[in-house]
Amino acid sequence: MFKKIRQSFSVAGYNFRQWRRNPRIIITFLLAFILCFLLSDKAVAFAEEHQTTMQIVEAFIWTFGDSNSILLSSLLLILLFSDMPFLSSGTPFYLMRINRRIWVMGQAIYIFLATGIYLLFILISTSLVCMTNSFTANMWSKTAAILGYSGEGQAIALPALVKTLEMSHPYQCMASIFFLMLLYALVLIFLMLFFNIWKGQAAGVISVFAFSIYGFLLNPENLQSLFRLPDELAYKARVWVGWLSPLNQATYHMHNFGYDNLPRLWQTYAIGGTLLLLLMLLSLWAIRRYSFHFRGTEGGA
Amino acid sequence: MKSIIKLENLSKSFGEDLVLKDVNREFEEGKIHGIVGNNGSGKTVMMKCICGFLRPTGGRVLVNYKQVGKDVDFPEDMGIIIETPGFLPGLSGMKNLELLASLQKRIHRDVIRETIRRVGLDPDLKKPVGKYSLGMRQRLGIAQAIMEDPSILILDEPFNGLDKDGAGQMRVLIKELCTQGKTILLASHNQQDIDELCDTVCEMDAGVMSMVREGRSGYAN
Repeated sequence: MFKKIRQSFSVAGYNFRQWRRNPRIIITFLLAFILCFLLSDKAVAFAEEHQTTMQIVEAFIWTFGDSNSILLSSLLLILLFSDMPFLSSGTPFYLMRINRRIWVMGQAIYIFLATGIYLLFILISTSLVCMTNSFTANMWSKTAAILGYSGEGQAIALPALVKTLEMSHPYQCMASIFFLMLLYALVLIFLMLFFNIWKGQAAGVISVFAFSIYGFLLNPENLQSLFRLPDELAYKARVWVGWLSPLNQATYHMHNFGYDNLPRLWQTYAIGGTLLLLLMLLSLWAIRRYSFHFRGTEGGA
Repeated sequence: MKSIIKLENLSKSFGEDLVLKDVNREFEEGKIHGIVGNNGSGKTVMMKCICGFLRPTGGRVLVNYKQVGKDVDFPEDMGIIIETPGFLPGLSGMKNLELLASLQKRIHRDVIRETIRRVGLDPDLKKPVGKYSLGMRQRLGIAQAIMEDPSILILDEPFNGLDKDGAGQMRVLIKELCTQGKTILLASHNQQDIDELCDTVCEMDAGVMSMVREGRSGYAN
């Protein structure tokens, strides 16, 4: 058992060793920083305009409390994992010393860790963007209060909602958003891994785009117009979307904090965890019939 | 002598393209078996099927009486080199082999050092593999294939990139490995390698395997 775990971590380690001086990895993280800078600019500019300070993780909370920002940051992950299913000319030497299941487990560990590192980088980047005008205490800033209570946040599409402010503290809220994003990104990448192994690389990419478009199009406004729901039933569309759209499940304020029928945070974690487990099992099933084609060795057949 | 590798009605197709056509062949233990054929004839695909990297469309591969893909994912006790060997370019040759050896933890550092010396490289060389010549990488590839002392070796174009002296040294090494009882499957474009080293020679042509010679004597070109 321990041997298998050690071997799985060695496989993950082999993938990480390929990050060294890898232009694709450098570009992904550079683009992630630019994305954070552009997306969190609205919150930072708002604080500057009102000459108020921010809590250091608020830029992250207001930026990634929005489903479109989550979608954009997750799509950038495709670049990080574009070499999936991670077959290089060195892979045969690893495979001969392990088995197919250990190889998939190693890839799963790599995906978990790499996604975690990527999201940590996003968290740090957004904190850096507002660093000069921020404090670290675990309390909401005046900027947050203005955004939430005046309704200006909604006007400029920053999801600083009163329920967020009143029912949690910044670090708690940050942790919840981080885990929601992590779960969404992992489901997306594991879906890509499964289709990659089962039907090939093109199917992997198509599955990710289909999953993202499904989340993007399934919003309350679209649902309301599709079923011609009157405005007084708009909340129903909101609840349906909250349950049906993985992207909305990844959005913090689309959760039940005690007074509506949206999913609770633990329910979202349970749904995401179940999906992850299912995709992992499907990947283990698909690898049994998988044919390995290694980059750099495909010369004469 | 027992057959250590057995191919039974082995077929492999990629879509409409039938690359291996009903290949039947047994490879005896302790011999060097040569496989010749033009590019695209199916040599590498056959070797990848034996290694378990490709799943046959039809038929089966038995290695040591175990069916590849059913009883085992990849054959146990087998060392391979399939065309261009890939290593982590930022690490030294020694470090690369240590990482691979750490997967099974069957051998110690000293054995790795000795194997690197055996293929004509310096285990203390700090130069990263990314700066190795093709010939040096090929030698390192051979070292990784033999370091854990497997009883079967699958060598696909092992002399690629080696100069005349280097190829000569590797030929001596392969003969030595055979005298130690290893079974070696060797695919090469070079007729001299095949003539000099192999006990049996098969030819692949458009996915069909035919026997060229069996035994060292009586070679017909």
